[in-house]
Amino acid sequence: MTKLTSLERVFKTLNLQEPDVVPTCELIVDPKVQNVILPDASYEDFVEFMDLDAAVYYEWAYDRYETVDEAKGIIRDKFGVIKRLTTEVDAIPIEAPIKSEKDLDNYTPPDPDVPWKYEALEAAVKRFKGQRPVIATAMDVFYQVNEIRGMYDHFMDVVRNPDLIERLTEIVLDYNLRYIRNCIEVGADIIWVTGDIATTIGPMVSPKHIERFAIRPLKATVDECKSHGVPCLKHTDGNIWSIFDMLVGTGIAGIHPIDPESGMDIGEAKTKYGNRVCLIGNIDCGATLCWGTEEEVRQEVKECIRKAGAGGGLICASSNSIHSGVKPENYVTMVKAIREYGRYPLSL
Amino acid sequence: MNLSEISQSVIDGDSSKAAELTKTALDAKVPAEKILEEGLVPAMKTVGELFGKGEYYFPELLLAGEAMKGALAHLRPILGKEGTAYAGKYAIGTVQGDIHDIGKNIIIMMLEANGWEVMDLGVDVPPESFCSAVKEGDFQVLGMSSLLTLTMPHMAETIDALKEAGLRDKVRVMIGGAPVTQSFADKIGADAYGRDAVEAVTKAEALVRKS
Repeated sequence: MTKLTSLERVFKTLNLQEPDVVPTCELIVDPKVQNVILPDASYEDFVEFMDLDAAVYYEWAYDRYETVDEAKGIIRDKFGVIKRLTTEVDAIPIEAPIKSEKDLDNYTPPDPDVPWKYEALEAAVKRFKGQRPVIATAMDVFYQVNEIRGMYDHFMDVVRNPDLIERLTEIVLDYNLRYIRNCIEVGADIIWVTGDIATTIGPMVSPKHIERFAIRPLKATVDECKSHGVPCLKHTDGNIWSIFDMLVGTGIAGIHPIDPESGMDIGEAKTKYGNRVCLIGNIDCGATLCWGTEEEVRQEVKECIRKAGAGGGLICASSNSIHSGVKPENYVTMVKAIREYGRYPLSL
Repeated sequence: MNLSEISQSVIDGDSSKAAELTKTALDAKVPAEKILEEGLVPAMKTVGELFGKGEYYFPELLLAGEAMKGALAHLRPILGKEGTAYAGKYAIGTVQGDIHDIGKNIIIMMLEANGWEVMDLGVDVPPESFCSAVKEGDFQVLGMSSLLTLTMPHMAETIDALKEAGLRDKVRVMIGGAPVTQSFADKIGADAYGRDAVEAVTKAEALVRKS
């Protein structure tokens, strides 16, 4: 097959067709890892240097926030969540703004129409349009509600006060749909919904509550994307076997990462769901990419492609992200191995 | 007084019923330790098993925990005087870069219910703080929790820091959290991995017996 552009490659893969080679991209590449591989470069230059098949714009990384305590790294995000900056890309929530029904009555959600929010995305679209897909991420509604209400109160309210959670869900969904429309208008090719709804044991809440508070808003998000002809991907760590059908039923084009540390086998996912959804994953970033030898990385890539690459429908990626603990040389090895073993027709 | 009713109220996550039945049992002169061992501990064990099997989820676990707390509030003032079987001292924290504490807090609840004296080191705890706690305290077990894949390497760093400080043999290290697994625990040289709150207790007890 003639060499495809990354755009053609990724879309063929999302359409469950066989491309020229298995594509690869990451939700996040930590700047510390990027800087070892290609010092002092922009993310866009890094994407081209590594020949990654998509440029991903992780919403949080391009957001603005209010500083609460600079010395302690405490900030307030756009939803009013107090967070602590860490050494990683993500900040960690430490205090939720909605502590009561009254707080919700007085709550003003953020404005998704602020122009500065889309500057990085617009620049990326200008640079990569037609060659490499530009992916904009959006926070999963369930996960965002969890931050705004606070983890403990969110989980309790799912049973104790579901109406409050329903109200919050609608507020966040409204924001998300407007934000996504703006991203698509600016030229984003794909939307990637991030935010965990499961743990190593299973979903965080019961299937009944997952359906009401996670799946329903995800479907609304997917429908919005589809109405613009844009595919929607979903990230969640954890063991999702019991809700895989529900997730695929929303119409998502791809699911990430098929968490290997949570009992998810990408071969099994391929057998059961490979004809319905693209699988994105699942090279272990908890151990192999951190401490494995280069040969161990190569073998894991080979095995992943062998299990899930047949006929297309696999974007080979890490099992979460290229975080700061990943050995940069292992990430380089991983990408090279995908190019080596992922050439179609596969011979593994 | 049928203590299984107290158990069921905890399993059902009914805080007011658990507290009311516990008070009723105390008024009926049932010993506090008996209420704890035959009413509350079996209930949390069942809740933990239901969570482990995927039949209970975080909301049900937390509601049961609230019910347990409500009952324990009546028992604690008395248990101190009667004395429970003392299991040992346990220090626990969430690792650096991670400030999720829900799993940690549930484990603290279970450990205390099973006679452990627990020091909560909090969240976002760097390796050096874990080391200081081990150096200054007299803990049998050090527990580390992580809810984020990308903070798991800090567990290995903490174990290395304990070795460098000459403290590794002073304490048994247990790890747990959503992305953590037995194979990861083996890789980094932890002494035990607790899959859930129930395992955290049973394995802590096993670690102390080994010492």
